[in-house]
Amino acid sequence: MSELYFKRPMPHGGKLVERVITDKKVAKKYLKSCEKYCAVYDIKPTLHYKRGVPVRNVYREIMSVCYGFFSPVEGSMTSAELESVLTKRRLLSGWVFPYPILFDISKEDYKRLGVSEGDRLILRLKGKPFAMLDIEEIYEIDPEELANRTFGSPETNPEVVQEKFDDKHPGWVIYRSHQPIILAGKYTIINEPIFKPPFDRFWVPPRNCREIFEQRGWRTAIAHQTRNVPHVGHEFLMKNAAYTGDVEPSHGILVNAIIGVKRRGDYPDEAILEAHEAVHKAGYIKPERHIVTYTLWDMRYGNPLESLLHGIIRQNMGCTHHMFGRDHAAVGEYYDKFATQILWLKGIPSYGFDKPVNEVDGGLLIRPQNMREFWYCPVCKEMAYSENCNHAKQKEKLSGSLIRGLVAEGVQPPTIIMRPEVFKVVVKWWKKFGYPFVNEKYVQWKEEELEVDLPDLD
Amino acid sequence: MEYILEVFLDDYRLNKIKGSPVEQNIEAIFGGELKVLRVKVGEEVKNEILKAFETARIDSRACITDTPVAFKRSLFEEIAKQKSLDEEVVKAVLAKIEEIKQLAAKESEYLPPPDIETD
Repeated sequence: MSELYFKRPMPHGGKLVERVITDKKVAKKYLKSCEKYCAVYDIKPTLHYKRGVPVRNVYREIMSVCYGFFSPVEGSMTSAELESVLTKRRLLSGWVFPYPILFDISKEDYKRLGVSEGDRLILRLKGKPFAMLDIEEIYEIDPEELANRTFGSPETNPEVVQEKFDDKHPGWVIYRSHQPIILAGKYTIINEPIFKPPFDRFWVPPRNCREIFEQRGWRTAIAHQTRNVPHVGHEFLMKNAAYTGDVEPSHGILVNAIIGVKRRGDYPDEAILEAHEAVHKAGYIKPERHIVTYTLWDMRYGNPLESLLHGIIRQNMGCTHHMFGRDHAAVGEYYDKFATQILWLKGIPSYGFDKPVNEVDGGLLIRPQNMREFWYCPVCKEMAYSENCNHAKQKEKLSGSLIRGLVAEGVQPPTIIMRPEVFKVVVKWWKKFGYPFVNEKYVQWKEEELEVDLPDLD
Repeated sequence: MEYILEVFLDDYRLNKIKGSPVEQNIEAIFGGELKVLRVKVGEEVKNEILKAFETARIDSRACITDTPVAFKRSLFEEIAKQKSLDEEVVKAVLAKIEEIKQLAAKESEYLPPPDIETD
């Protein structure tokens, strides 16, 4: 029988990247030795290139790199690595990676810092030492070209790209808003941030996550990507996708939320995490089979490209499977609705995948569980799977937007759409922020406050 | 392609259209737990709405969603006034777009939460 069991996949690239100095004495020594010779840079949010509102904070990428979520990436990419990612979606080592990860600064800051290759830069967050960047290379980019090449176009990627990316696409805007000077090199966190509630209890870096799976005896675990509070359709997606396993259904469901700058109209991060927690607290899924976690990342909404990153993160966390639905990590109509599933089932040659992601060299080991959709069927009188239910004409589709519409008008969604415990969480944070969704005020507040505070190193 | 604007009906709204021809178009969805009116619009009107409101989007059901509450309220009022679900009611709302945008700007700062107990 055991030959039928799935094994927990190795981290992407072979081993987990962990670039965090946890010993304060050692961290202080590093800082001390830097006092005379290292420049200091205060991390600032990336601002929208036209509107000036925050769209990203590079601290989230530094956290995700140093705690191993993005293994095997170890820092800000060199120009050769960037080129390799943009042309082949591969790191120079050959491992698949979809997006540029860059530490960008303005020309003015570059001049002021006076750094050159071989220097170490101390990065401060909220005025306190946070991380070091060992500069291997300094180069200049054209942010518009970077944004265009990151996502492609209907001409270069005709298999799945339907519309030209523009400033209505939040991911394109993030790269377009990058500063032109790139400092490439490895990051090391020297002062571990302290997460604020409620983020503290959902912070589970890959090593800890793998340990939890081990302790719980989860041989198989399926990942659920989210940037939303769960409606009943999401719950059914989780429950049904989890029937996939090896010789029995998946032992566990790992909810991994993407926490970072959100679009107006999304739910606040705090509500997203606690609402998923409410699903197991209220027993809709047993808490023994369901963990809620997150990754810090300002979402790029790159549908198939984002699915690669999601696969990498959750493989690093130890999952054997990843569920993918329609319009995965998508916004607007830039991509084919099933672009992610095309990538994982057939490949997308123009993005560097002439075969499915699991079959290419340097590819992923986590298995896709491609799901179609769930709808409410008034004939079956239940939440039904689109490929099972033969009442397509009568179907009533759930969508996050439908629920947002109800919420905004103060109408409590029926329990068939959203669990009352989940709605309570939405209202809890609505009361705190004076608004149920992300708005300009929330983004400004959140990007000043961030998810963390930095302790004194003294 | 046809796009849909949904107008959810609570008791107040149901009362307001009682006896009018649109009452026959009320649909009960999700096991009868929600009552809704559906207004169908074409490409041009859809684009006008998306252009007017940054948050507006098209969901997987071809519904135009995430429009401001002020827009939805005005749409219902126009339906009740014209007693119709034709595209004309949306055009009448779009004719007052500046006024709606002003109201929407205020509501993007604050919306009163429902009075339910939370932990």
